[in-house]
Amino acid sequence: MKIDRRCFLSFIVGGAAGTALSPLPWKITDDLSIWSQNWPWTPVPPAGETSFVTSTCTLCPGGCGISVRKVDERAVKVEGLKGHPVNDGGLCILGLAAAQLLYAPTRVRGPLKKVDGAWREISWADAIKEIAAKLADLRAKGQPQSVAWISESDRGTTAELCKRFLTVYGSPNYFRTPSIQDAYETALYLTQGQRAMAGFDVAQADFVLSFSSGLIEGWGSPAYMFRARNAMRQNGGRISQVEPRLSKTAAKADQWVPIKPGTEGALALGLVHVIIAEGLYRKNFIDSRSTGFDALKQIAGASYAPEAVSRLTGIEAKTIVDLAKAFAGAKKPLAVCGRGSGRIPGGLQEVLAVHCLNALTGSINQPGGVIAVPEPEYIDWPEPEMDAVASRGVQQPRLDGAGRDGFPLARYLLNRLPEAQTAGASAPVQALFVSGANPVYSLADTQAVAKAFSKVPLIVSLSSYMDETAAMAHYILPSHAHLERYEDVPAALGFPKPILGLSKPAVKPAFKTKYVGDMVIALAKAMGGPVAEAFGWESYEACLKQTLGNAWDTLVKNGYVVDAKFKPGEFETPSQKFEFNNPALAKLPAYAAQRAPGDEKSFPLTLIPYDTMRLASGPIGSPPFLVKALEETVLQQNTALVDVNPATAKDLGLSEGSAAVLSTPKGSARVKVHLFDGIMPGLVALPRGLGHTAYDKYLAGKGVNTNALISPVEDPGSGFEAGWGIRANLTRA
Amino acid sequence: MDSALIPKGVKRCSIGQFALWIAVVGAVLLWGVWAMLLCYFRGLNQTNMNNAYGFALWIWADLAVIALGGGAFFTGLLRYIFGKDELKHIINYAVLIGFICYSSALLILAIDVGQPLRAWFIFWHANVHSMLTEVAFCLTCYFGVLTIEYVPLVLENRQIDRLPFFHNLTHNMHGIMALFAATGAFLSFFHQGSLGGVSGVLYGRPFGFRTGLLVWPWTFFLYTWSAAACGPCFTLFITRITEMATCKKLVKDSVVELLAKIAGWMLLTYIVAKIIDTVYWAAVTAPAMGLTLMDFYSNNPGSAYGLWILIAEVGVCGVLPAVMLVAPGIRSNPSMRFIAVTLAVIGACLNRWVMVLQVQAVPVLPFEGWFGYMPSWQEIATTILPVAYGIILISLSYRYLPVFPQEQELNPIEGGK
Amino acid sequence: MDQQNGNTKKYGMVIDLDKCTGCGACMVACMAENNVPFREDDTDKLLSVSWMRVYRLGNGKPFPQVEECYLPRPCQQCEGHAGHSPCVSVCPATATDYDMRTGIVSQIPTRCFGCRYCMAACPYHVRQFNWWDPIWPDGMERMLNPNVSVRMRGVVEKCGFCFHRYQLATDKAYLDGRRELEEGEYQTACAQACPAGAILFGDLNNPTHAVHKIAQPDSTHGGRPRNPKAFRLLERLGTNPKVYYLSSKEWVRKAGDNQVQRTEQTPKA
Repeated sequence: MKIDRRCFLSFIVGGAAGTALSPLPWKITDDLSIWSQNWPWTPVPPAGETSFVTSTCTLCPGGCGISVRKVDERAVKVEGLKGHPVNDGGLCILGLAAAQLLYAPTRVRGPLKKVDGAWREISWADAIKEIAAKLADLRAKGQPQSVAWISESDRGTTAELCKRFLTVYGSPNYFRTPSIQDAYETALYLTQGQRAMAGFDVAQADFVLSFSSGLIEGWGSPAYMFRARNAMRQNGGRISQVEPRLSKTAAKADQWVPIKPGTEGALALGLVHVIIAEGLYRKNFIDSRSTGFDALKQIAGASYAPEAVSRLTGIEAKTIVDLAKAFAGAKKPLAVCGRGSGRIPGGLQEVLAVHCLNALTGSINQPGGVIAVPEPEYIDWPEPEMDAVASRGVQQPRLDGAGRDGFPLARYLLNRLPEAQTAGASAPVQALFVSGANPVYSLADTQAVAKAFSKVPLIVSLSSYMDETAAMAHYILPSHAHLERYEDVPAALGFPKPILGLSKPAVKPAFKTKYVGDMVIALAKAMGGPVAEAFGWESYEACLKQTLGNAWDTLVKNGYVVDAKFKPGEFETPSQKFEFNNPALAKLPAYAAQRAPGDEKSFPLTLIPYDTMRLASGPIGSPPFLVKALEETVLQQNTALVDVNPATAKDLGLSEGSAAVLSTPKGSARVKVHLFDGIMPGLVALPRGLGHTAYDKYLAGKGVNTNALISPVEDPGSGFEAGWGIRANLTRA
Repeated sequence: MDSALIPKGVKRCSIGQFALWIAVVGAVLLWGVWAMLLCYFRGLNQTNMNNAYGFALWIWADLAVIALGGGAFFTGLLRYIFGKDELKHIINYAVLIGFICYSSALLILAIDVGQPLRAWFIFWHANVHSMLTEVAFCLTCYFGVLTIEYVPLVLENRQIDRLPFFHNLTHNMHGIMALFAATGAFLSFFHQGSLGGVSGVLYGRPFGFRTGLLVWPWTFFLYTWSAAACGPCFTLFITRITEMATCKKLVKDSVVELLAKIAGWMLLTYIVAKIIDTVYWAAVTAPAMGLTLMDFYSNNPGSAYGLWILIAEVGVCGVLPAVMLVAPGIRSNPSMRFIAVTLAVIGACLNRWVMVLQVQAVPVLPFEGWFGYMPSWQEIATTILPVAYGIILISLSYRYLPVFPQEQELNPIEGGK
Repeated sequence: MDQQNGNTKKYGMVIDLDKCTGCGACMVACMAENNVPFREDDTDKLLSVSWMRVYRLGNGKPFPQVEECYLPRPCQQCEGHAGHSPCVSVCPATATDYDMRTGIVSQIPTRCFGCRYCMAACPYHVRQFNWWDPIWPDGMERMLNPNVSVRMRGVVEKCGFCFHRYQLATDKAYLDGRRELEEGEYQTACAQACPAGAILFGDLNNPTHAVHKIAQPDSTHGGRPRNPKAFRLLERLGTNPKVYYLSSKEWVRKAGDNQVQRTEQTPKA
């Protein structure tokens, strides 16, 4: 058949018309749209049975009750537990994002061993065998005290197991990471004789004077403080926030009193001075329940008269007097301190000054006051049998000098460890366990910390995540994530009542992980001898069940046990009174405002780190949702923004969004400038919780780690970490 | 080589020269196609649009080309319905420009939507309350009309015209062209208006919102009117550009002047209405929403949206060209006329720009600031893509179709056949 | 009309800005509940999807008179005039709807074809576009909530007052043989999560509900609050939102709407 042009054209036109009239194009159009609605790369969450697991959040010491929503075996969301005494249904931003931590790409999926600088998978049995052998070596050499353990907490069964392990092994070197709790616990002990945690009955107070405490920025038990703050304000209570920067707490307070950073203690003493001078203190408390009032009078003598304090703090004398009158005039005043979330450290004298202020108004162990919450006593294990090596080892002085020498008051001084490790010719720490802490990120002067850690021949990280400390370790024995394990939560930080919570596994462990408690038991068993004998439990769960005894069933069902009828105990000082004149107090050097390190010529500004609820700054790295929720005035792309007063910025020739270099005696970093009227001139504020080098791409490399820019400051007398900032300079980049 | 295809009695450049020209413009076209493919396969993250600027360069381009393409319906209306017979000498070109404008608009819209594969939902799941629905329906229908109007011109190609079927078809189509012109005018009235309604109905956006008549905000009528005024100006503008490019006179001055005069009066009436609208909006509508005129024109970075833009749109590109085109002395001067139509075209584009971009730039929540926007290269390339396509279509049409009936008469070929 | 029909709900919120601490828990609760995607760099808030956003408002004064307030902004669920909310009427494909039974503005991602007209229409910026494909890092897709579908690239999404929770609550009530929901039985994720208890959620039409009691909506004036401490965002536009804000501070209440200087001295009756 001959195909001419006409035929060809007819064929084309006819074919086109026929196709158009057929269902084909319509079908294709429809199918394409259906495909676009079901793109295979857009995930479809599988449906399933919904269930809820009641548990306790362990992401911070806040002790909130949680309800984990599951769909089949997936943990979909974590919500606050309604009716829980701490948080009553509400939950903080980190707790809400917890499922992201459970399924984080940065989870360590099984035991790892570093071989020639690279991670290699290892079996649990081998890892424990190898570590046990190294520990046995040290013990054989008579150096059991060279093993140290760093943890976020020293309470609860997990911490007790770790401590017990060190004890029977023969080392006194258990460390808790520093926070304002160190000073608070010491202050309570010195003045009230009580070994207790400080609880704050904010809800029932009617005037809260906060010395830079971020009451709604993670301080104490975050969710509880939110509720308590509302409750007290609902009842007509007022909050005065003394702070160098208009934090969210300051912004939401009834009064904001800007203060030169580091002089909070001086202001407290100034208020004490005014209250005493004007006779505004509660005479019945001072006369019948305290001793040594004269000592206090002397401390807050003429050098803390309003004018003098005004010069120190930058607050007008009249404001100081008014503040003192308002505080003393309130029915149930309460003064609190501890900067930011309470993890920005502070000195002992500062806490003592604030505590004395509370005592002057009788706000101690009273509704609306500071409550000494006794340390939990449910852990009652038999004393372990110690062999000679262990007995000798635990008698050795602690490596940080805590409890001896110059620092009789302190229990843990982790801040002193890096220097101890690097000072001498031989490194005193030969093996280091780190659980639930990330000191390479969170201690001041991270470079020095990293240097000290590099001198430890064996670092074992028990982290669930590839954090900065884990990255430096020789072994990572990953623990279960917080939604995969049993754990007792012995207290809710800052909560005014004793409360015991239970964290329960909501889902089965996703990876080849082992909870810290189980790891310790396994390691002890691998060590054999008296060490093994001290750990008779089959597993951590068995240990926990046995330890909690009768409370177990209630805890499993409700998630918590609270002592609702709790009444604070009597003072346990020799005089059975509140002692302003404890002999140990007399030995402390006189209070002096803590200066920021660095010379003022080359560093004309002062850097203050600040806390925000939207960033986790402790041992947990912020999950993606938190970073996503950050304000654009905090982080832009990978650059952190610093708050600078417009007047200061003008002097420096900087404007909103300017790229700048922030330098301190410890280092420098590129930042952007955010002009903020809510910060005192001369200061630069930088958020804590950024600048991670480890973790995943959603967190690593974003912003600056404030701890890399500041240096540790030792509180004279107590030895506690007291560095709240550092001198700094800001120059146009 | 292609001389058999070239209309009789006119002179065209060599095929080589023509191919080179097409290749150059084609390269630009391909650049646009590349950007378009990026937008399709990688998504609209290729643009610099954001959640505050959901409508940006593309929507402006759409609104602008449709306004400028209004020359087709309005010239058609004048020629076929109002009997301005002289305009038959320019109607072909007006239709061609309209065809290019509308096809470009459809193309840009197809890139602009986030889910092009289900863009047809606008017809299937139509929401009759939405101005965009009305736009989509009328625009598509009118594009069909324009195609029907353009087809006879294509069929007049020397080779196609030789076939009796097509010859007769062309003849018959010309016969019923008045009907299509009327349909086109009707459809255009609505979709031009609906495009005006796009921002006019946004009562959450005080800069764009206008009160109006029944369901139609005043911008509905202003858009239709301005398209009728500026569309012909654009036709004249492109005609003049074509004349410059071909170094030939293609349309007689009398024709041009007639169209310019009508456009001038349209523009004058439009701009008076626009001024009244602006005054009413500034004095009544906006203050009722809590904003004053200067809230819309001050405190923005670099004064990108200062009062100057209002003055430029209404004064320099509105009143001024209207007066120039209405005044016979100025209108008859080809240079002045060209300046006037150019200003009118810029005015229409500026109007569409502010009604799309500034609507979104203005902060409405009192605690927000102005929103800035700078198009990405992909947006610019895809916006230039239809320009390149238009140039190619014009070049092909000019070369092979009798677009300008007066060309032969105005440009007699020496020793012609 | 709403008042006459006993079955017609008007779900709304009262957000107490005196209580709000700006902590951001509501944002994250919402993200976790509604499968909101996140990206490696989500710092450009104009490209980021967040159904709930907490604004930081200042009083514009210099140090030390400066004050701040935090304002959470979910979808305002505008009723406009008789359900004519700014966004619903403009959607060409009926991908968003004003539900007369609940007063909730829905969004159907599979119907939406991404023209973004609704985004241009919304003065509150609650509507956000999926500029990218949503991607969860390997393993993290396990946390996705099956009650809410994941939105594909190229469509607009927004807060719907956790409408799936309304469905779950009504399903449960139905199985229990009840026709009405108890107050609190249907709560949005943000209201549930707020650790400060700043967000109240309930039926504005129901005089026994806390939201009604506090906001005291004036149905004869387009739902304007009678409570002098309460205000709505951009009241003057006539969007008739169902999110009420409370503040004891005048500058905060004023920051909720544009004020024409001259006429502002005396509030309209």
